[in-house]
Amino acid sequence: MSALTREALWERLRAASLVEGEAPAPDEQRSPWFVRLMLGFAGWMGALFLLLFVGIALAVVVRSAALSVAVGAGACFAATAIFRAARGDFASQFGFAVSLAGQGLIGFGLSQLLGARSLASAAALSAVVQAALFALVPNYGHRIWCAFTAAYAAALALANAGLQPFVPALVTGAFLAVWLREFERPERGELVRAAGYGLAAAALFAAVLQGGLWHGLMGLLGERASGPGRALGWAGAVASGAVLVAAVLALLRREGVPPGSRPGRFALGAAALLALISLKAPGLGPAVAILVVGYANGNRVLAGAGIAALIGYLSHYYYSLQATLLEKSALLAAAGIALLLLRLALHRWWPPKDAHA
Amino acid sequence: MRPGEGAMQARREILEWARQGRIAAGGLRRALELGGALPGADAWRAFLDRMFLFLGAALLGAGVIFFFAFNWDEIGRFGKFALAQAPIVAALAVLWKLDLDRPAARAALVAAALFAGALFALIGQTYQTGADTFELFAVWAAAILPWALVGRFAVLWIVWLALVNLAASLYFLTFPGVFGLLFSPQAMAWLLFGVNVAALAAWEAAATRLAWLRGRWAPRLIVLACGIPVTALAVAALFESSRTSAWALPAWLAWIGALYGVYRHVLKDLFMLAAGALSAIVVATTLLSRGLTFRDGGAFLLLGVAVIGLSAAAGYWLRQVAREIDA
Repeated sequence: MSALTREALWERLRAASLVEGEAPAPDEQRSPWFVRLMLGFAGWMGALFLLLFVGIALAVVVRSAALSVAVGAGACFAATAIFRAARGDFASQFGFAVSLAGQGLIGFGLSQLLGARSLASAAALSAVVQAALFALVPNYGHRIWCAFTAAYAAALALANAGLQPFVPALVTGAFLAVWLREFERPERGELVRAAGYGLAAAALFAAVLQGGLWHGLMGLLGERASGPGRALGWAGAVASGAVLVAAVLALLRREGVPPGSRPGRFALGAAALLALISLKAPGLGPAVAILVVGYANGNRVLAGAGIAALIGYLSHYYYSLQATLLEKSALLAAAGIALLLLRLALHRWWPPKDAHA
Repeated sequence: MRPGEGAMQARREILEWARQGRIAAGGLRRALELGGALPGADAWRAFLDRMFLFLGAALLGAGVIFFFAFNWDEIGRFGKFALAQAPIVAALAVLWKLDLDRPAARAALVAAALFAGALFALIGQTYQTGADTFELFAVWAAAILPWALVGRFAVLWIVWLALVNLAASLYFLTFPGVFGLLFSPQAMAWLLFGVNVAALAAWEAAATRLAWLRGRWAPRLIVLACGIPVTALAVAALFESSRTSAWALPAWLAWIGALYGVYRHVLKDLFMLAAGALSAIVVATTLLSRGLTFRDGGAFLLLGVAVIGLSAAAGYWLRQVAREIDA
């Protein structure tokens, strides 16, 4: 933002008695999301090389599961110390890669120690480790990664314990709960947003790309992906839909819109319709939730992620095996027509202000 | 500043001021509203309108395509053709009634372009024309080109470019040996790089005159579609110089140089510079790995530290450029 616009914004807030004094100096340390993403990707590459180094030069470590966990934990503590002591670019990139390598070693060790007996407990323990690192390491990008992996590991643990149908609802519910409170504790805003972006990624993986990919992952981990019972499957689908409706209700309350008002009725009608479609196309609800919450909070990156999630889900849905192409085609066409009818109703009962211009 | 970006910037500034405790307690929400960072009632109405329209059109279009992919035997040939053509006619009827700049007309145009693909697939399916898959996408792209030309809609051009990329990729999967000496995945990478560079140049040149091309998301996507194949070519050339074209490294260098020249000095787009930096990190790391022996694992430590150091330097540089662009 140019200095002038920034000053003008400050002036406008000052005129409304929301701020006092002179505008603070611009934050020079901030980077756009794609620079952070690029750095994250490079950090990941660096961590991979560090892991290869440990695997070859210190092969004795990876031969013992307990030693892997211990060295991994040591690396994570070292990374935490690096992040807390230094603020430079090299230090944070180095800390990020060392921490990722440490997490990889801990995850490897835990899966060796517990994986054969209980994937659920290994995944649950990994979730706890990632959550602890989220709290301990004061770095935004690192926190997004930890929130994502903690949520995903927890989802894996739940799925392995037989609760897979409820995973999309739970992850999406957590995602919504975080973002709908974004403005409540501004001093902790960075923490909330890091958790929110991590949960958005987890919702994307667990809810939007569920099905084929999920079963593939379970297969990779040597688990038989036993399908959940029919009743449990339906209960989970209903829960996913209910989360979407609950989110719209919460959003309406936050915005001060009565659910019985015209905008309220349209929002709830759309949510109910999408919840209904989500019974058979379960990724749709979470993808739309990401889009709507992104828009509600004025966050274009999040809204864009919601659109990408929708496109990704539709491409993925083509290959998912839970229904024949004919059933999927009928569902999608009916849903599309219903949405277009809803738009006609919108024009009829809530016309745009410049409709007659 | 581009439209829409102002609201996102205002949001960032206000949230940062709130984090520093500069905004009166309980005033964050009001500040965001005053800064235009949050949607008002009219904006919400417009959002619902667009979402119902585009999601509805996309789901309906996907439904039609899924239907023809199912290849239902119980409907006769003519019934199928009627079913494939009816939605095209319906979409074109919407277009005929509405001004092309209306959102509904644009949604109808994109839907018609998708339906056209379903129709071509049906023709291939019914008459067993012997056409290869790449021909389907090539014909599809050629057929919707006139619509893209009159549509003045960035989304439709990206759909078109995606079809061209798909046709080019599938062509090389069908005819692996056409370019003689060249190893086919490399020939494919060269073609994709060439097509997308041409598209990028055309896009940026046209955007100086046409306002509807000015959103940055599309050229950013195209830059990724150029950068990935040319980076892969450069990495392959460094690993196996005997079986690769001698032009790969010069082409990559020219690409990085052009990216830097255009997006650092002329158009000032940090996304492009970040993408170029990542490509440079990958190629530099590959170059470094050529001089190392990997017997004892120490080389991996060196590579890891190199990647970390290069990316830290890139992050520092990009922040300096960001500050300069913002100023």
